[in-house]
Amino acid sequence: MKEIRIGVYICHCGLNIAGTVNVEEVAKYAETLPNVVVARHYRYMCSDPGQDLIKSDIKKLSINRVVVASCSPRMHELTFRKAVEDGGLNPYLYEHANIREHCSWVHDDRKLATNKAKDLIRAAVRRVYHHEPLVIKEAPLNPNVLVVGGGIAGMQAALDIANGQNKVYLVEREPSIGGHMIQLDRTFPTLDCSECILTPKMSDVGHHPFIELLSLSEVEEVSGSIGNFKVKVRRKARYVNESKCVGCGICEEKCPRRTDSEFEMGLAKRGMAYIPFAQAIPHIATIDKREERPCKAACRAACPIHMNVLGYVSLIKEGRFKEAYEVIRRTNPLPAICGRVCYAPCQQACNRGQVDESIAIRELKRFAADYERNASRIKARPVEITKEEKVAIVGSGPAGLACAYELIRQGYPVTIFEAAPEPGGLLRYGIPEYRLPRKVLSSDISYMKDMGVEIKTNTTVRNLDEIFRQGYKAIFLGNGAGSSQKMGIPGEDSHGVLYVLDFLRQVNSGVEVRLGPKVAIIGGGNAAADAARVARRLGVDEVTVVYRRTRAEMPAIPSEVEQMEQEGVKIQFLSVPVEVLSRGNRVTGIKCARVEMGEPDARGRRRIRLVQGSEFTIDADNVIMAIGQSVDKSMLPEGLVFTDLGTLDVDPVTLQTNVDGVFAGGDVVSGPSDVILAIAEGKKAARSIDAYLREEELSTGEGGQVEKLSEEEIAKLKEQFGSRKRVEHSKPDLAKRVRDFEEVEQAYSIEEAQQEAERCLASAIEGCFQCGECKEACEAGAINYDQTDQIVELEVGVIIVATGYDQFDPSVIPQYCYKKYDNVLTGLEFERITCAAGPTEGKILLNDGRVPQSVAIVHCVGSRDQNYHEYCSRVCCMYGLKYAHLTKEIAKADVYEFYIDMRCFGEGYEEFYKRLSEEGVNFIRGKVAKITDEALTDEEKGKLIVISEDTLLGKMVRVPVDMVILCSALEARSDAENVARIFTINRRADGFFLERHVKLDPVATPTDGVFIAGCCEGPRDIPDTVAQAEATAAKALSLISKGTVTLEAAVSTVDEAICHGCGRCEEVCTFHAPKVAARNGTMVSTINETLCKGCGGCAVVCPTGAISIKHFTQDEILAQVAALTEGS
Amino acid sequence: MAEFEPRIIAFCCNWCTYAAADLAGTSRVHYPPNVKIVRVMCSGMVNPIYILKAFEGGVDGVLVAGCHQTDCHYIDGPVKCDDMIDRLRKALHVLGLEDERVRREMVAASEGVVFARIINEMVEQLRKLGPSPFKVRMEALA
Repeated sequence: MKEIRIGVYICHCGLNIAGTVNVEEVAKYAETLPNVVVARHYRYMCSDPGQDLIKSDIKKLSINRVVVASCSPRMHELTFRKAVEDGGLNPYLYEHANIREHCSWVHDDRKLATNKAKDLIRAAVRRVYHHEPLVIKEAPLNPNVLVVGGGIAGMQAALDIANGQNKVYLVEREPSIGGHMIQLDRTFPTLDCSECILTPKMSDVGHHPFIELLSLSEVEEVSGSIGNFKVKVRRKARYVNESKCVGCGICEEKCPRRTDSEFEMGLAKRGMAYIPFAQAIPHIATIDKREERPCKAACRAACPIHMNVLGYVSLIKEGRFKEAYEVIRRTNPLPAICGRVCYAPCQQACNRGQVDESIAIRELKRFAADYERNASRIKARPVEITKEEKVAIVGSGPAGLACAYELIRQGYPVTIFEAAPEPGGLLRYGIPEYRLPRKVLSSDISYMKDMGVEIKTNTTVRNLDEIFRQGYKAIFLGNGAGSSQKMGIPGEDSHGVLYVLDFLRQVNSGVEVRLGPKVAIIGGGNAAADAARVARRLGVDEVTVVYRRTRAEMPAIPSEVEQMEQEGVKIQFLSVPVEVLSRGNRVTGIKCARVEMGEPDARGRRRIRLVQGSEFTIDADNVIMAIGQSVDKSMLPEGLVFTDLGTLDVDPVTLQTNVDGVFAGGDVVSGPSDVILAIAEGKKAARSIDAYLREEELSTGEGGQVEKLSEEEIAKLKEQFGSRKRVEHSKPDLAKRVRDFEEVEQAYSIEEAQQEAERCLASAIEGCFQCGECKEACEAGAINYDQTDQIVELEVGVIIVATGYDQFDPSVIPQYCYKKYDNVLTGLEFERITCAAGPTEGKILLNDGRVPQSVAIVHCVGSRDQNYHEYCSRVCCMYGLKYAHLTKEIAKADVYEFYIDMRCFGEGYEEFYKRLSEEGVNFIRGKVAKITDEALTDEEKGKLIVISEDTLLGKMVRVPVDMVILCSALEARSDAENVARIFTINRRADGFFLERHVKLDPVATPTDGVFIAGCCEGPRDIPDTVAQAEATAAKALSLISKGTVTLEAAVSTVDEAICHGCGRCEEVCTFHAPKVAARNGTMVSTINETLCKGCGGCAVVCPTGAISIKHFTQDEILAQVAALTEGS
Repeated sequence: MAEFEPRIIAFCCNWCTYAAADLAGTSRVHYPPNVKIVRVMCSGMVNPIYILKAFEGGVDGVLVAGCHQTDCHYIDGPVKCDDMIDRLRKALHVLGLEDERVRREMVAASEGVVFARIINEMVEQLRKLGPSPFKVRMEALA
């Protein structure tokens, strides 16, 4: 073996080492060590002359091992390895002794420090004796770069690298790039608008052919090493198809739910479907869906017009009644009416009904409509008529009104022709006032008139051609079924027999109707119930309803039946009238027979059978027939075709009649039905008419199946929500109510309505509850509630982390009363306030809308404070000055800046400070102790009083102001620890990421190939951030330009002669580097050197000692340890 | 008689604790010179033989320190190190060495102050504990 000749070089590092360690003595000692040929000391070994000493000794003295004792090897090991290599030796024939950081800087006893330096050098000399030359291998570097964070730092780095035509993946966790900078209004000290300078960059990033932007995405896992990282990115479900969304914003407009806008710092609201701000990149919507809806929204599916029940109920819950009303209005032309007379299939379907009791949806709808009417806020704006084709509507019942409403909203000029003196059809003439007060009816109808619908009353349409001749291009017939059916029994012609529609029409028109003291009503529908209750109100003592089936089959709304009975109406179930009894053609009673229920017929209704000999008599002075209504053909124009049932024959899909351009819907087509079904038909006809006029195919769709909850779901919901019955509201005194026509059903109070709305299962969840409003409105069809998170795997060579900062939350400082007093704001909140596109459109306003007359700006909130962060946040002085300037400029207010020191270190900063002094800002040097509203003097009343020491005056001051801005510190991201773990970055004690060297390697990290830029490394201003980002880009580009990476030379190696192939190494290795396989007939382990990271875990567990780690062999370390045990 | 000065060898991982010791130096946080650091790439690389060798050579205490579980450059080095220490302690009992003589710590790169505090504590504790029984026996034999 060649003779080992070691050279030892001791660095003074100026006085850094030599001041504590006697370097001459150490050098002399080193020369005495075995194999040491030469030991020198020099002022700066890292300098060129210092390195030349080594190179020259290698040549002249033939030394073949080198030890340098100087600073940390983390600083200069590579420098000296390079020098050794330049001198002609393998760079691994070198060992470093750390006698500065680990010796001279941490000890002050010169003797002890000198002895320790000797020990460390002796150990290094013994160790280097065993060093072997290692082969350095290169591997190709993947030129793709991952940039994490889409703030100004990440964008700048991405652009620099992509401009060099290298692929960049930019991962941003928020829906848009822009970071904090896009939230800023203006930037100090030049006061140029942040948006104006940033949005072009954002746009460049968005459109760059070499940048692939992954927004709403987070890096979950990084493996591999420099040159060949594998990165797993979670692309969070946006619930919007990115390639289809055009960024029109209709989804947000339609979304019934609102939450605090993160971008506006909670000072404005956003929808659950939203684009965070106007210049967002990518400019596409995101749906904030956080959890699955607990119910199936059966209400919406069950509603014939598919009203967004979830939407308005949740808005009522939140107290946003106006918006609730607007949501109702979007689909329903007659909200207040439906809130009273609808048979509410939604309520019957409501999934909560399966859990305990369904939501009182109809009452909530009525509440919203009444609340708005009472607040006089209901005011329709005239609709702009954009279309030329006039549409005529015949009949102003619910079908006609609904059709008119839909058409005029699409810009069609609409005229309604009504035969009666007042519009409303059956709503007016059929439904009694105690159920539907006339002012409510008029309100809903005049809304439509205000929109621009023309209503011609007292106008009967007999001739369709005449209408077409007047220039109408389409006609909708909503004439209804206004003729009462006859029973066809003996005595029906007697005096005192009335037909229900005539009866109700007369009462509702104000015609006096005289009834005898006993009245019998035949029928079980709503009209029968109405007639019975009206009769009671007209003073009839004994009212009997005769119905042929049982209570369960009664078509009248159950609550109506219940109230009817409460009001003293008797019901004879399972009875049919067989004859009207009379004396002298004057009704005296009605003869009835009992029936039995048989098997159900084809429609599911059970047949009835007369029971022989069961006849009985009911005394009556009047009999009201309410057994059904039919279409009055005499009121309809000529030329139309009818069905066998006597209703108009129309195409079931288009609702077109046999006459081209003439459509029909409502009772005239379906026979007697319900208000909401008539509305649904009217709306359907409107769509059909629109398609007809535009000569397009009629698009169908909308709706969905009514879904029930499963037993498991019910059990789960019961556990989750408990049982909570419907909120009941009071009804007027029974005795009073049968005497007049006052409305019986009372509206919910605000509290009751909100309590009831709280029961809605869908609105119990946070975020989007998939009401479907946006999905319906999105013309691009981009909304997809079923999207799931996707994991994408990227392969990159270099990673740049630019994850930014969080703003310190000053609410943890109780004496500053942030969130307690309205007019105490943080810096970012004030940025939004002064921004022209912000919530106040750039006006500086107090919470009550006044302009502040005095404003205090408090520096160092959460920074330079040992209770929170000891560091200086670096940007607060300057942004505080900027706020002072803006406050003076915009609000013309007095400004008080409370500062500890003014730190105005950058380009133009000091000049800006001077300018502000000249603008008349009051600078008070002192840390604010407290902000309070407890006034001591009249002058302080109604103000916020800032209490501080003025250290220049040496006394306490109390400054009353209207607004306080807290210059909140920048702090490390709350999840910085996790991010650090993913990328293997170290953190400082303050939580920010640690650079490899604070001065000389400011953007590198301990992990090769991972760089950091911007505020994730500590607070800094925009110029510094951009410079740093460009530095990371330069680092990345230099690696890419080289194209290869040096593989770790200090990897594990197996001595195959000793290896038993036991496989322990395979078990422990995290990187799957060792593989046991047969070789020459025996099982041995082999290390894959490209996978091996050199951690040495395998060597420790190897039972035979076959594995060693190059450059960290047992011989080397044991020699070092042994040498250390010998010393002082 | 001069006060007993314990001798300590510290095995520190390159990425965290060695850097923490560097930071203590850069920040001039002083601690006694009784400790000498051996740099390893990972705390999971420390072979029990190295620790036994140190005691055989007469040191009074050994510190094995590396990254926190979540910071490891090699993902799970600290787990491997903990396993090794658990196994080693049994052997140390047999040899009559007190538990306190082998200290296992996790010190992040930012924790220079923590590193100095640990050294101070160890020196103080070992001063109280006295010389390693191993060393005493070796000297008696010699």
